[in-house]
Amino acid sequence: MSLWRMAWQYMWDRRLTTILTVLSVALGVALITSVLTLRDETEKRFVEEGQLYDLVVGAAGSPLQLVLSSVYFMDTPTGNISHEEYEQVRDHEAVNQAFPIGLGDTYQGYRIVGTTRELFDFFPEHVREEPLFSIGEGRYFEEDFEAVIGSMVARRTGLEIGDTFVGTHGFMEMPEHLAHVHDDHPYEVVGILEATDSPNDRAIYTTLESVWIVHDHDHGHDHGHGHDHDHEDDHNHDHNDGHDHDHVQADPAGDAADLMADEVTSVLVSLHTPADRFSLRSEFNDTLHAMAAIPVMEIWDLYENLLGTIQGVLLAIGYLVVIIAALSILIGLYLSILQRKRDLAIMRALGAAAPEIVGSVLIEAFLVTVLGIVSGWIIGNIVTWFIGLQLTWSYGLVIEAWGLPSAEILTSFAAVAVVGILAGLVPAWQAYQTDVARDLAEL
Amino acid sequence: MVTVEQCRRVLGPGVEFVCEQFHAPEGAQMALWGPSGCGKSTLLNLISGLLRPEAGHITVDGTDIASLSEGQLDRFRGERYGFIFQTFNLLGPFTALQNVMLGMRFSDTLPSSQWKERATALLERVGLAHRLHSKPASLSVGERQRVAIARALANNQKIVAADEPTGSLDPRSSAAVMDVLLTLCQEEGVTLLMVTHEQELAKRLDDQFDCSELIKEANV
Repeated sequence: MSLWRMAWQYMWDRRLTTILTVLSVALGVALITSVLTLRDETEKRFVEEGQLYDLVVGAAGSPLQLVLSSVYFMDTPTGNISHEEYEQVRDHEAVNQAFPIGLGDTYQGYRIVGTTRELFDFFPEHVREEPLFSIGEGRYFEEDFEAVIGSMVARRTGLEIGDTFVGTHGFMEMPEHLAHVHDDHPYEVVGILEATDSPNDRAIYTTLESVWIVHDHDHGHDHGHGHDHDHEDDHNHDHNDGHDHDHVQADPAGDAADLMADEVTSVLVSLHTPADRFSLRSEFNDTLHAMAAIPVMEIWDLYENLLGTIQGVLLAIGYLVVIIAALSILIGLYLSILQRKRDLAIMRALGAAAPEIVGSVLIEAFLVTVLGIVSGWIIGNIVTWFIGLQLTWSYGLVIEAWGLPSAEILTSFAAVAVVGILAGLVPAWQAYQTDVARDLAEL
Repeated sequence: MVTVEQCRRVLGPGVEFVCEQFHAPEGAQMALWGPSGCGKSTLLNLISGLLRPEAGHITVDGTDIASLSEGQLDRFRGERYGFIFQTFNLLGPFTALQNVMLGMRFSDTLPSSQWKERATALLERVGLAHRLHSKPASLSVGERQRVAIARALANNQKIVAADEPTGSLDPRSSAAVMDVLLTLCQEEGVTLLMVTHEQELAKRLDDQFDCSELIKEANV
């Protein structure tokens, strides 16, 4: 009979204690697994989505806010910029493609994004294997007030092809009596996008002109659906609300939802050479009345500065739980050794030498630790999977559980294993120090 | 086979174990007899290497066991001795068969391929062929002691050290266990050293060693 088999049988013989000790290790490991997997997965998603566009150009303000609002549809936009500035960006020789984004309204909390038809053909192959946009049902918009909705929007709102809906002014979900509903400009759903595990799943796309019309109407302009915009003329005009907008200057953030005709909220930019983004960011910041931001850098900073601290705290808690678990192994094994003093004395009497006695206890510590790590990894992935479901449901952020553990997770597992085995050393040595004759004599 | 000379060990303040001379030839069946607390178990523990003497020599099978290191003594014990205790001292998580095989686990006397066959044969000889896979908790006290006898002989040991082997048994079980023990030791050619405080039981063995004067006042 091998020492492994003996250790296993002792563990099985007192299985309740064993299960509780394994669980205490598993809790720490599960916490570490969840925190690290969630961090890795969200970082991967955010960075992947941050790389979709090389630059974002919008109104001056917080670059992170600009990126979050334009790429992730999460925060309030920094304001709006003029169509002329969009054209300057679009026509720059280093720019491959530039897509205007007009934000201002939401439907049930989902952003109504005014843009051009060309955005749907954008396929950043260096980041994604699957297309960024793919129509699942219906078609892309062709006319104003036709809407193409993301898969998550369709699922959560129940909107189907042919349904109509009206947007609510602003970016926050408001109580019905406070909400400013654009009920004179309903949108018709003409297409539903395939799920792409990207922010597009939680957006409603329509023509930029539709957004202009809705907001121009609010400000007293009477644009028909077949309107014709004169951009030159729109740069300085009076509105019925009694204040002037100077569209050469970016709008303050507080007016971000008041998108005027001939304005865009931001421009999503794809460059011929992504490496040019740093120089082009400087150039745009110097020459335009706007701000350029590099999405991937802003997201990286967010992770480093803000989320890094939160992760640090969670990881510290995880390691603390592991240390407590190690103490639990130590106590569990020590109590087990006390209970087994006679058995160990018998083994000594039968000829077991120090390596065999110490080895059998260490093997037990190792088995408990390994079982704890494996169970913890499983529990951690179940937790991650549940949190991932919630994040997908709420934010369209896809978190993949059950992947191969990262090097960092494996390192933490190794650390846990070492701590667990170290916890077994004291009882192992104690076991060998047993006084055979006395322990055998004790009833 | 076993010789003890001028062996001393302090047992407590002012109390000393002293054995001037003891000898048991190979194949002997000897009772270490005396009243409770007379030092007979101490003598057995010293002979079997569970205790170390503070002075004197204990020679077993030509080896002075007092000179062995802890590791050497562990191995020597595993190869030469089989133990039978009053309280059986079987390992709870293991079956009768596994307990007997455990006796072979810690020495290199028999190849592992023979462990199961040897253990099964011994358990059959002590009348437990039907209890091979029973755990100690489900065995009667008499059956437990039979498992202990099988384990003590499993490794082809040269000496069986039995400390009050019938102390926990009723008279009927006691007689049956003694029959098995004496018969098996004789058949296997093993030296049996048995501690007992029962004179009648001691008389069932070929030789008796009176342990009544082993404990003395220590010289300060």
